[in-house]
Formats: sequence, C-alpha cells, structure tokens
Amino acid sequence: MRKVSHEWQKYLQKGFIDKKYWNDFKENAQAASVELKEVKNYEDAMPIIEDIIAGAEASRLAAVGGGESEELSRIYKNLGQKYQVYTDKFEIARNAPSVDIGISTAEFGVGETGSICVDNYSYEARVATMLPPINIVFMNKNNVVDTMTDAFEILEQVFDKGYTGFVTGPSRTSDIERVLTLGVHGPSRLILFAVDGME
Amino acid sequence: MEKRNIKIEIEDKLHDEILRSNLERFSEQYPAARAKAYANVESIEALRDDLKEMKSYSVSHIEKLADQFQESLEKRGAKVFRAKDGEALKRQLLEICRENDVHNIVKSKSMATEEIRLNDYLEEQGLHVKETDLGEWMLSVAGQHPSHMVMPAIHLNRNQCAKFFSDELKEDIPSDIPFMVQTARRVMRKEFLKADMGISGANFGIAENGAIGLVTNEGNARIVTTMPPIHVIIIGYEKLIPKISDASKIMRLLPRNGTGQRMVSYLTLVDGPTPIIHEKNGKMVEENKKVYAILLDNGRLKAAHDPVMKEVYQCVRCASCLNVCPIWSTVGGNVYGHIYSGGIGAILTGLLNSMDDFAQFSDLCIGCRRCTTVCPGKINIPDLIQELRNRRVAEKGLSLPEKLIFQKIMTNRKIFHTLLRTASIGQKPVKSGKFIRNLPLFFAKMTEGRSLPAIADKPFRDRANDLFKNNPSSAKMKVAFFSGCNLDFVFPQTGESVVKVLQDIGAEVIYPQDQNCCGKPIIGAGDLETARKLAMQNIEALEKANADYIVAACPTCAETLKQTYKELFAHDRIWLERAENLSKKIREFTSLVEMSYAKNKRLKTTHGAEKITYHDSCHMRRSLDIYKEPRRLLEAAPGYDYVEMDGADQCCGMAGSFGMKYADLSVQLLNRKIHNIKESGAQTIAVACPACMMQIGGGLDKNAPEIKIKHIADILAENISD
Repeated sequence: MRKVSHEWQKYLQKGFIDKKYWNDFKENAQAASVELKEVKNYEDAMPIIEDIIAGAEASRLAAVGGGESEELSRIYKNLGQKYQVYTDKFEIARNAPSVDIGISTAEFGVGETGSICVDNYSYEARVATMLPPINIVFMNKNNVVDTMTDAFEILEQVFDKGYTGFVTGPSRTSDIERVLTLGVHGPSRLILFAVDGME
Repeated sequence: MEKRNIKIEIEDKLHDEILRSNLERFSEQYPAARAKAYANVESIEALRDDLKEMKSYSVSHIEKLADQFQESLEKRGAKVFRAKDGEALKRQLLEICRENDVHNIVKSKSMATEEIRLNDYLEEQGLHVKETDLGEWMLSVAGQHPSHMVMPAIHLNRNQCAKFFSDELKEDIPSDIPFMVQTARRVMRKEFLKADMGISGANFGIAENGAIGLVTNEGNARIVTTMPPIHVIIIGYEKLIPKISDASKIMRLLPRNGTGQRMVSYLTLVDGPTPIIHEKNGKMVEENKKVYAILLDNGRLKAAHDPVMKEVYQCVRCASCLNVCPIWSTVGGNVYGHIYSGGIGAILTGLLNSMDDFAQFSDLCIGCRRCTTVCPGKINIPDLIQELRNRRVAEKGLSLPEKLIFQKIMTNRKIFHTLLRTASIGQKPVKSGKFIRNLPLFFAKMTEGRSLPAIADKPFRDRANDLFKNNPSSAKMKVAFFSGCNLDFVFPQTGESVVKVLQDIGAEVIYPQDQNCCGKPIIGAGDLETARKLAMQNIEALEKANADYIVAACPTCAETLKQTYKELFAHDRIWLERAENLSKKIREFTSLVEMSYAKNKRLKTTHGAEKITYHDSCHMRRSLDIYKEPRRLLEAAPGYDYVEMDGADQCCGMAGSFGMKYADLSVQLLNRKIHNIKESGAQTIAVACPACMMQIGGGLDKNAPEIKIKHIADILAENISD
C-alpha cells in the first residue's frame, strides 16, 4: 500500500513516544467520541469486532493495511471466512460506497488532543475510512506523543508528499442549532483498537 | 457598492427572535467552552505569541513563500496559477473546467471563493456546483449568506432548516435534526460520487513542501479532495506558512478558539497529486489525480506591504473575535459586510472588497476590545478599524455636521462650553436638530429604554474654586484634575466627590480652566488633524498646572491623555516629547486612590448592610488594565458588601457616539447589563466611568429604579466627613 512513509516507527522512536502520554490520549479521545478498545493483542480484538459487526447488522467490510502487518492480515482472513471482506484496492474502490465497515490503521496518537495520525496516501485507505458508517482503526498503544507540536515535528521529518493528517473522533456537525450530530459525511462511529503488544 | 440601510437591517435582526436566542445562548456558553479546551496547555499567551510571530514572519516574506509554495507543488506534479483578482481567477478556473470537460463540482468551504462569489459565476457558466458543508449547503439552498465564518448557519433554527431541505429536495422533511443530517449525508453522497471536480480552500499552505491543510468536523473536505479526479485548491496568499512544523502553531489554537474543541475531527494534509482508483472505459484503473492550485491576490499583496494593516494577516479565521463581540452576539453576522463579519470582517472588507463597503458598517465596532483578549494572532482589531477610519476621513473628509462641530466648535473651548451652558438653560436645543446631535454630550433619540440626565445648571468648572478652599494646608502632592466633558457638564457632583477624596488622601487639588474635551469623539471619527489641535490645548493647559499628577475619573479621558496623545504626535518630535512628559503624570482616579489607601492600611474588607457590585468600563478594563483597584476599594467601603456580577466586563452599550447612532442596538446591550445587575442582588452598582454611569443609570431609571448607580468617587466621598 502506498504510504507517505514506511518509516514512521523509526522517527517516532526518536524520543517522541512514551507510555506516560496514554492517559491524556485516552481522556481526550473519549471526549471526542472515540470508542476506545484496549487489547493485549490482535487476537483479542477478534470477538469485539464480531460483536460490532453483529450489533450493526453488518456483512460487508473494506480492510486496508493487511499488506503491512501479518497479524492484521490474519484478522482479515479470519473475518473473511464469515463476512465479505474486501482487501484488494480495486475491490475496495468499487465497493467502498456500499460497505458497512472500513478497517484501517493509524501511525500514532496525540495525548494533548486524542487525535490519531493517519497515513492515507493510498486511495483505498481514504475511501475505506471515510465512506462507510463505521471506521475501525488499529494503533500501537505505545505510539502516543505528547503534543501537536511534537506530532508536527514528526511530520516535518516524514511528510514529503501525498495525503496524511489527523482524525479526532467521528464525522460531526453542529450546523443545525449547534446540536452535535455524528456521521454527517464520514463515519458516525470511530472505534479505535489500541494494541498493547504491537512491535 | 450596494447602498445599504444598516439601521433598518439592524432593526430586523433585533426583532428576529430565533437569531437572538441562538446567539445569546452561544455567547453565554462560549467563554467556558474555550477555557475548558485550553485547560491542558501551559500558557495560552505563549501559544498566541508563537502564532503571532510565525504569521507576521510569513506576511513579511509573502512573495518568497508564494514562489516556494508554487515550486514545491509544481515539482510534485501540480499546476499552479496566480490570480490578481476574482475575475482572473474565474477565467482561469473556467479554462480548467473546459479543458477537462467538467460538469459537476463539489466544494468544501472556502471563504476566498465566497469573497469573489465564485459559485454564482460557475452556475452562470452552466456548471453544477454543490457546497458540501452542511451549513453552507443549507444557506446556498436558501439563497442566504453565512453569518459566521465557522458556524455559518447559527442564525437559523431547525424548522427553518427543515423548510430549506424540503424546498430543495421536493420532499417533506421533518424538523428532526438527526434525520436532516442523515438526509444531507444521502443527498451529498450522490454529489460526491458523480462529481468530476473538487474545489477546496485551504486553512494553510506550506511553502516548503506544497501541502495544504484543511480543517473540518464534517469530513467533507476529505471527500472533496479524495473522490473527484480533479482537485482545485483556491488559496489566498495570506494562508502561506514556511514549514510543516509551523502548522502546529495554528492548530493548537484554531479549534480551541473557534469551537472550544481541542482538535477538529479532521485535519487533512494534501500534498500534490494523489492516487485515485476509478472506472475508465469499463475497467478499474489507478492513476494520479490532476491537481491545480490558484493563489488569489485580490488586494492581499497590497495589504501585506502596508506597515499597519499587514497585522490583519495574523488572522487564522477562527472567528473567536465574533464569539465575544457584544454587537455580533446581538445582531449576528449578516449586517456586516457580505462575507466576512465582525470586526475582523470590517477590516477584511476594507482591504479586499472596498472602502465604501467598509465605511457603511465600520462603526459597528464599539472599541470594547474584548476581541483583543482572545484573538490567537493577537490582532488589535479595534486599532486597525480605527486606522482605516482615519484613512477614510483623510481621503474623503468628514460629514458636514461633524466637520462643523469638531473643527469650528470643539476646538474653540469658549464657544463649545457656551453652547453646553446654553443647552443646560433650555435643555431644548439639545433635543432637536441634527446640528447638536453630534456633540459628544447630546442625548436626543436616546430616550427609548433609558432616561437621560440633564446638563447640570452649574458645571464643575464654576464650582471648582469654592472646593479648593478645603485643600489640605500641608499637602503631600499637587494634583491637577482633568474632569472631561461628562464630569464637568453632566455629573459635576461626582467631580466634587473626586476632589473631596483626593483632598482626603493629602492632595492639593487644582483645576486648570483652559482644559477642553480630551478629543476622543473626534479621534474615534478619524479626524486626527482636529484631534491634534485639542491635544495641544490640553497639553498646554495641563503643563501650566505644574502638578505632580494629573487625575482623570473618566477612563476614556485617562487613556486618551496617557496613550493616544503620544500616538497622535508620533511624527512630531517636539510635541511627542511634551505628550510623553504629560503621559507620565496621568493617573486614573481609582488606581491613585487605591495606592494611597493600601499604603495607609485603609483597605480592610468590610461586610456592610448594602450589597454593591461593580461594572468594568471597557477602556478601564482592557486599555488601562485597571480592574483590581476599584474592586479593592469597594470591598473596603464601609456600609457596603461587595458582590461580583456576571458579565461585569461586558460593554454597557454606550461606547461613545455609538450609543446615539445605534440607539436600539445600544439598548439591547444595556438590557443585558441591567439583567446581570439585578441577578447579582446588589442594591447599588458602582462604576468608574461617567459614560457608563449615564448609560446604565438611564437603564436603571426605566427598568429598575430601586437600584442606585454611583461613581466610586461618590461612594468613597460618602465615608469622608466634611
């Protein structure tokens, strides 16, 4: 999958990430309506995802990032045995407007704001995260930086061209009477799996 | 230029109950929401300084950044154009549309395209254009314009929205908000899928790599920049910043200030052509999108080189200046220019649109300076508006009655004061005719919702000599009292209290009879030439007094004497020196008295029988930064029990000539103030400003006559035996 960088981890480890930022991240992400799931490993995410699928009466999924992670790839394969899971970019592009759930990855979180940094250079990653009503995201729980200043310091090093940015909760609007309403253009639910044992 | 009748427009808004209650609710909630969003940063001031510094660097290197931005984007495969104005941009864009056989366009919010009315043009050319931000979409359907840069449809309620939905979709849409939002999703999704071009603005453009940043909560900008095979970026020069890391300086403030969020849902960074996968000739193919960027000038470069006005480019369009503006929160954004509203909107309209448009609503800024306390880029919005007013007057001159009054009457103290005395005899000339209406002390048309004080029978200046018989025999200091017009002609008894309190702290008080109006009304109107004449008269009169201090019990006079005179003579070395020497001696009344009371241990908190609260004058609170001193004096005033009221520092609506020109609007601000005073439970409201005393006193008289208003000098004098 095309990415802005394949070396995010290398830069994150230059003193930016620390476990101590997790609590801030959690508090701010939840305040921004992120549904946060802390899991020890990918396997533990499986039953939760199945519950989400059942609860939403979903059957078709678009899933990206399997090419970069064996564990994720295994999850997609397992899900594929029970549901229709699109992992090929052309299939995703064709079906994204009608699938129920998109699954994707994030590079790191930001403690100050509860934001996740997403590398969405590839078209399939963008449509899988924006068009379906539910977006499930996997992130390494250890990859949390302190502030937006730090986050942009990292971008300063890795962002040469392409498509990236920060997502902080689901799509929302308050344009009618300032009443907060989720899911206007993008997903109404952003479910983040923070995986503890990720490399 | 459209010729508008702003007064009628304001009248309409004042009767729009939906607008009024929406704005009132919002402006009540905003300060707490903002504070909460900032609760986890160490220093807001440090963040504001960082942003200000970065943006002012950017504007001073604007051409260099534009070259670099263009080069970066071209290197990555985008095409970059520059448009000197709206016409040039439209021509360029149409050419791009024709070249690529474009029919359907989706747009995400861009103030620059609103500024040049791009949508109307594209539709005239037969193109199908859809705004995708929900608020913007509803307004475009309704044929209305945004009333706020961040919350475009804040003036509407759900029933009005449902009607726009129903009209546009030819379906019956109920006024259920989640249902309307889902309907918008369904309708807009179709537009996204069929669009062959996406047009976006940019919250910032990064010179070093050509990326743009797009800030949305809905995520529409993400879809606009993803799905259509062509992306056109329309970006004003002022949005360019040097480096990627500079973006954080904007992003740590913009969402917190704009909507009280620590971050928006989507901050999207797009740089150069990105892949798209779509069906072409029956086959799915992956290819790069076409990306075009058009840099819009439309007056921006000229303003960027203006040594004073370039400050406006420290703006990041968060609109927090509107959120705290007493006028915006009463009448909304549509009475300002056609695009940019509020104080910042007045400036942008003057620079990017026309000075004629600016002049029509520039006096809606009452100079209360609340915006300067929140602006992320630390822009002195009222000062920039004043600068534009000054230039307008220098170019076009004053209106005839203003000219006559300022230049022929007020500069001649004897004539001016004779006129005021005449007014006191009959009280009649004051109430009739346009001529006297423009005097700083005239009260015609101010009777609705408030009573007006009469001009005193005997002005302070005629009482002064008697008072000075009570000067202490061995004085600690010599104080010259600068009364200002209000304490001289309207509230001379308060002037007497001032003298009594000063004598009590050991001052020998004198009153230089040659003093004239401080000149603030004239400065406000932009006639600096005449203001300088008045300033010279006052400097001479006050120099002759040879006093240790010059005390004003009117914060506006104090500010004018202390700060503005120096600015008036910035280019006149000799008078500047005299203004600087004068400035050093100027003291605002309460701050001088508080210092003496503190020194003599007279500031013991008391809890008397009568509850008293305090109203901050805008000039006192935000120009002179004096707000603790009056409170300490009141806390220690025997017989009183001090309580704080809500919104103590919100403008009472007087604001110089504003209160007269926009009497109805002024009364709305006054009513809010009266409401807060009543809620506090106080039996007395204390002020330190005679203009506020006039305004609030008039409102109390009509609406709550049981509550008394007193200048702090009067309260302190009560406790001094004769």
